[in-house]
Amino acid sequence: MNNTQYQAILDEMRSQFDYDFMSLALVEPAEFNYVIKWKFASGNLNDGYKRILLKSGRGVPGIVFKTGKPLLIPYVPDFVGPENIFQYPIIKLEDLISLVAVPVWHDGRVAGILLGGYRDDRRVTVQSMQDLQKLVSGGLHDLNGKEMMPS
Amino acid sequence: MTSAGNNPIGSLMIKLFEQSSEVIIFFDRHGKIIAMNPAAEAIMTPEKIRRILQGDGHGICEVCRGFTSEAEQMTCTNCYMHNPELREFTSFQIFLETKGKEVVPYTASFQTIDPEEGTRVLMLRSMIKQYQTQEKLYQNKVMKHVIEAQESERRRISRELHDSVAQELMSAVVDLRVLKYLTDDEKLVGKMNQTEALMTRLLDDVRNLSVELRPATLDDFGLEAAFKTHFKRLEQSYGLLVDFTSSLDKKRYSSEIETVVYRVCQEAVMNALKYAQVDRVEVVLEEKEGMLQLVVEDQGAGFQPGSKPIGTGLGLFGMQERAELVGGVLRVLSKPGEGTRVFLQVPVPSGE
Repeated sequence: MNNTQYQAILDEMRSQFDYDFMSLALVEPAEFNYVIKWKFASGNLNDGYKRILLKSGRGVPGIVFKTGKPLLIPYVPDFVGPENIFQYPIIKLEDLISLVAVPVWHDGRVAGILLGGYRDDRRVTVQSMQDLQKLVSGGLHDLNGKEMMPS
Repeated sequence: MTSAGNNPIGSLMIKLFEQSSEVIIFFDRHGKIIAMNPAAEAIMTPEKIRRILQGDGHGICEVCRGFTSEAEQMTCTNCYMHNPELREFTSFQIFLETKGKEVVPYTASFQTIDPEEGTRVLMLRSMIKQYQTQEKLYQNKVMKHVIEAQESERRRISRELHDSVAQELMSAVVDLRVLKYLTDDEKLVGKMNQTEALMTRLLDDVRNLSVELRPATLDDFGLEAAFKTHFKRLEQSYGLLVDFTSSLDKKRYSSEIETVVYRVCQEAVMNALKYAQVDRVEVVLEEKEGMLQLVVEDQGAGFQPGSKPIGTGLGLFGMQERAELVGGVLRVLSKPGEGTRVFLQVPVPSGE
């Protein structure tokens, strides 16, 4: 896997869609027990995202990873109250107000999660979600984007 | 017969009647109240006093809610008024409906002081203090049992997950790795790799579950080791950084004390994470002069102690209860905008 290439893709995507923050979570290789982590970020406030280890079914990426469905959160306070925000560390660490996360497929499995979000009064829409989905359906660098495996 | 003038008993008795905190009520042979002292009047409403003294209404039944017999907590069966000669009424328990308060238990004695006239006296002393003490004692006992039961059940499930479920999963993962070398079919190997990744994560989840329920490290290696693993997990799960200072090294304490300190710390750090809006918490653990001390401090939002809690408010209560179980003291110092400091002190037997 080529780190600089992923970073470049992410930076370019962010300027194309004009997001405040974009991040890509990937499954780590076997020697790291296949855990899922936020590997690349663009427009990040700090490096806190690197500390987070994803738990299956928890947090934004956990939900996307488990369900294989995109997650659209137009306005964070409507989605989760202040006493439960701690369960979504990426939202808290990056002060996101509005975000969308889509699964990136590889050989019929979710292999990555692409997240884009705003910190100001801009809001993600169904259109932003579809744009991201369309973009990753053709694959993302090493990941082929195939949701179905030819059997 | 001696007159009251040169015998001190008479005036002493009047003083006793008027000043005593004990309720004293005199009855005639028909159960009508002849007199009662200020202490008795103090526990009744003026309305009840008027009715009792005028003789209309139902005498003592206006306020009495029954006495405790072997069969019932509050009963009117075999009422003391009708059976004053029974020995059990030299000391028994009755319930009175008092002014302002609800039904209050009293310890009572009912005696005939003038057999010829049939004059009888009922003397009462409030037992509410003893009752509250008893209640508290009972609550503490129950709470202790509940916490013990909860911890031991958690320990059991946690061990089960760790020793049997996780072990079986582990051997399945190893089998899968072996399988990969038995074929050259790349498609098959690719698929197996994905399954292996899935199983490995599942194994991780099961282990995490086990640790969350009750960390085996706490039982096996003590507080310091358990805290280190716990804080590492907090960092990975929530991005929360914990500055942990400890001078305990590998020192061990009784399982009860270790559990209390661990759970209190867990709750306090979780509170900081949930409510203080911080990504940094400071935890200090040390033993000083026979006291095991834990300090959990954050520079976050803080709160007004005693104000309506954002959450259930049970967390703070639970910490307090746990601390009391091992004779410890818990103090929570906080002010809005000035952070929060949770301080736990547990006495530990020295020279161990």
